[in-house]
Amino acid sequence: MERTGSNHFTRTVLTTRRRFRFFGLTTEDLIRSFFGGNAVVAIVVLALITIFLLKEGAGFFGQNRENLQIYRQAGLEYVDFMRGQVEGHTTLTRSLSALRLQQFQASTAAGLGAEAANAALTDFDAFSDKFSDTVTPLRGMVSDLTDVATAIKEKFIIAGDKREERRQLEAVGRDADAAKVQIAEVNFTTEIRPLLDARPAYLEASRDLGTALTALLAAAPVLAGPDAAVALEEFKATTRAYVAGFPEIARRVETWDYTLPVPLGKSLSAFVFGREWLTASFWQDWYGIIPLLVGSIMVSLVALLLAVPLGVGAAIYINQVATPREQQLIKPAIEFISAIPSVVLGFFGIAVLGEALRQLSGVSWLDWVPGFPFSERLNILTAGCLLALISVPTIFTLSEDALNNVPRSFKEASFALGANRLQTILRIIVPASLSGIISAVLLGLGRVIGETMVVLLCAGNRIAIPDFTAGLGVVTQPVHTMTGIIAQEMGEVVQGSIHYRALFMVGLVLFFIALAINYAAQKIVRRYRISIG
Amino acid sequence: MNAVTEHQFRSKSSAAKTRETATFWLFRAATYLVLLCGAAVFATIIFKGAGTVLQATPPFVKTSFLTEAPETLHVFEFQGQKREMGDKEFRAFKAANPAAASIRAESYVYSAGGIFPAIVGTVLLVVGSMTIALFLGICAAIYLQEYARDGRFIRFVRLAILNLAGVPSIVFGLFGYGLFVIGFKLFGIQFFGWHVSLLAGWFTLAFMVLPVIITASEESLKAVPKGFREGSLALGATQWQTIRKNVLPYALPGILTSSILGIARVAGETAPIMFTAAYVVRDKLPWEIERLSDFFFQGVMALPYHIYVVSSKIPQNEYTERVQYGTAFVFLVIVAIIAAASIILRNRLRKRYQW
Repeated sequence: MERTGSNHFTRTVLTTRRRFRFFGLTTEDLIRSFFGGNAVVAIVVLALITIFLLKEGAGFFGQNRENLQIYRQAGLEYVDFMRGQVEGHTTLTRSLSALRLQQFQASTAAGLGAEAANAALTDFDAFSDKFSDTVTPLRGMVSDLTDVATAIKEKFIIAGDKREERRQLEAVGRDADAAKVQIAEVNFTTEIRPLLDARPAYLEASRDLGTALTALLAAAPVLAGPDAAVALEEFKATTRAYVAGFPEIARRVETWDYTLPVPLGKSLSAFVFGREWLTASFWQDWYGIIPLLVGSIMVSLVALLLAVPLGVGAAIYINQVATPREQQLIKPAIEFISAIPSVVLGFFGIAVLGEALRQLSGVSWLDWVPGFPFSERLNILTAGCLLALISVPTIFTLSEDALNNVPRSFKEASFALGANRLQTILRIIVPASLSGIISAVLLGLGRVIGETMVVLLCAGNRIAIPDFTAGLGVVTQPVHTMTGIIAQEMGEVVQGSIHYRALFMVGLVLFFIALAINYAAQKIVRRYRISIG
Repeated sequence: MNAVTEHQFRSKSSAAKTRETATFWLFRAATYLVLLCGAAVFATIIFKGAGTVLQATPPFVKTSFLTEAPETLHVFEFQGQKREMGDKEFRAFKAANPAAASIRAESYVYSAGGIFPAIVGTVLLVVGSMTIALFLGICAAIYLQEYARDGRFIRFVRLAILNLAGVPSIVFGLFGYGLFVIGFKLFGIQFFGWHVSLLAGWFTLAFMVLPVIITASEESLKAVPKGFREGSLALGATQWQTIRKNVLPYALPGILTSSILGIARVAGETAPIMFTAAYVVRDKLPWEIERLSDFFFQGVMALPYHIYVVSSKIPQNEYTERVQYGTAFVFLVIVAIIAAASIILRNRLRKRYQW
């Protein structure tokens, strides 16, 4: 009797026990969806990054278009044509003085006294003075026009500020104060008149300059020495090319129209292909990503050139050649290097490596190295060396994994066919793991291109495209990078300004580059993985 | 005699053999060059920084450097003697010696005193962000490893994690700045907008290190044998009971150990906190606050950012060098200890748990 009761009890408990339900979900389901929710965080964060970079960066194109529009409307573009002409002349004058210095040094080296050397150059000096004087009328005119254009732009900016002030007053409901705000609207048609009126005078001055230069070239003095003569001829040719460019400038000045609207595409191309990143300038701000992109790429290239042989070489050594004892010690040691914080490496670069490299470059028997000696201690090379140290552990660890995944049978088969160890490594094991090694290098590149502190501290931070005419010596020039510019300027910009948005655009470019590198690395691993079996 | 040494199978020196040896030596050189470079960085910083942080007499550590706030260093000549003083000391000195009132001193910011606020700030940042990251990361890993069945969604999650790992840290900084510091308005309600604060720094750093934590946790969960789960389920436990009693306890040591590497990463990064959490200098310590809520919304000094500031914003000379190398020394030692602990513990763990 008792037994059946107990049975009955169990049965009732098992069948009638109600499960806790919440919106039709059991506890198990709730726990499950809680964990699932956490897994979604990764997707959410990735999406949020994209959204926020886009949200803050998207306004850039509209603002940059406005920026370019005012550049045109206020006549800055117009004056820039002429400024270009004057600057071209300045460059020529500078090359003349460089030529003089060379000549002077040559004659003093030949044993002439300083006075005698100067005396020999009297003709040349007279020529050079005349040459630099030719541009004076044009320069004065351009300087005046510069002031006019700047004034128009200034007026426009003030009007914009006032408008903003009124809008803000209206927003808080102080309409009476808002009405009091004086807005001096800029009438571009009348403001631009003085600029356009100067056109005939400019054209004449330009023509005069052309004839004066041509006449001067015909009466150029003769310099002693074959080298000097060649240099002078070169100078003459450059000057002739410069003068030949005048009609083109004149055509641009004549056809220039301040009413032409700036298309949105121009705003995009000014960012993507812009060769200048110039901010807080009295004249015109430019937001072109090319100098930063080139800087980032150059630094990364140098870093990879150093890191790939070292990283892959070390991986091959550890995986194939080293004794087990060496393996045990060196693997964690290299992993340990990756733990050095990048800001410490950057500091090391500033405090030690930069100076050390400069001293090294001054050593006389290293003269043959392109770019040596250099005077800037912070440059592409310094940053590249440190970045190499950062990326070596990544490349090493992943390559070593790839080498490790090559089946033993490959190696054994190779040995059985009579190959020695080197042949086996270079012909069998490395090719078999090549996809893994390439993806390791790509991930190393991703690490390097996204690295901030080292390049901010050690790349020299000069915003200009390095001078590629220096050949390989280009690596000893300072650059600025995409990551560096964000870190440097983000703290100082006004939120919502064009500069602020430009920095977010740079961030967006960086983000997509990183994604592309990552994607390529995964693709390569998956696609070219040899089937093991 | 000759016949013995020149047996048929002796290793002959051939061109191939020489080439092999030479190439191996090249590889060996590459390996040791890398180690040498790493060691050179360590040695320089330790050697030059030791003077600031350590001393020859007990307690062997200059406690003032570790417990004081940064000050401006004044260097001046007084009565034929060259003197160096921190800001407070200098003022007291001026007050005590009327003759010194009009003295002209060269000043170097942050070059005297210590780095205590920066150490505190870094610890706070690490603790907060690791708490967030570990919570999110472990939960995500449990889902991926225990609950999820391979499908399109899971593949998408994994792809997102993989890509998140490749995003540059400065982009995380921008993102944190845009989302947490500035925030956004939706239907007139302000979301986030925490300004430069601990909270913003925590979340930015936590998201940055999330992929590392998820991957590490997944690996540890994977290492728990299937039999543990099957046994528990066969006894009638629910899945959650199984995970809680039979999987997590065995996976947790591994998860925590592997996550220490995440700590090193969080402590070492500068770019994400530059505009989300770090101040160049702050007089108050984080606990000197009026209300409790202020604690989360205050900016802090942080060691990596302090190194950036002292190495780029002040000139390099014998007076500033001490604080530069000293800070780098302390920071490097902290990070190195964390990293070494993680590597050693992981290797030990691998040996212990072999089911």
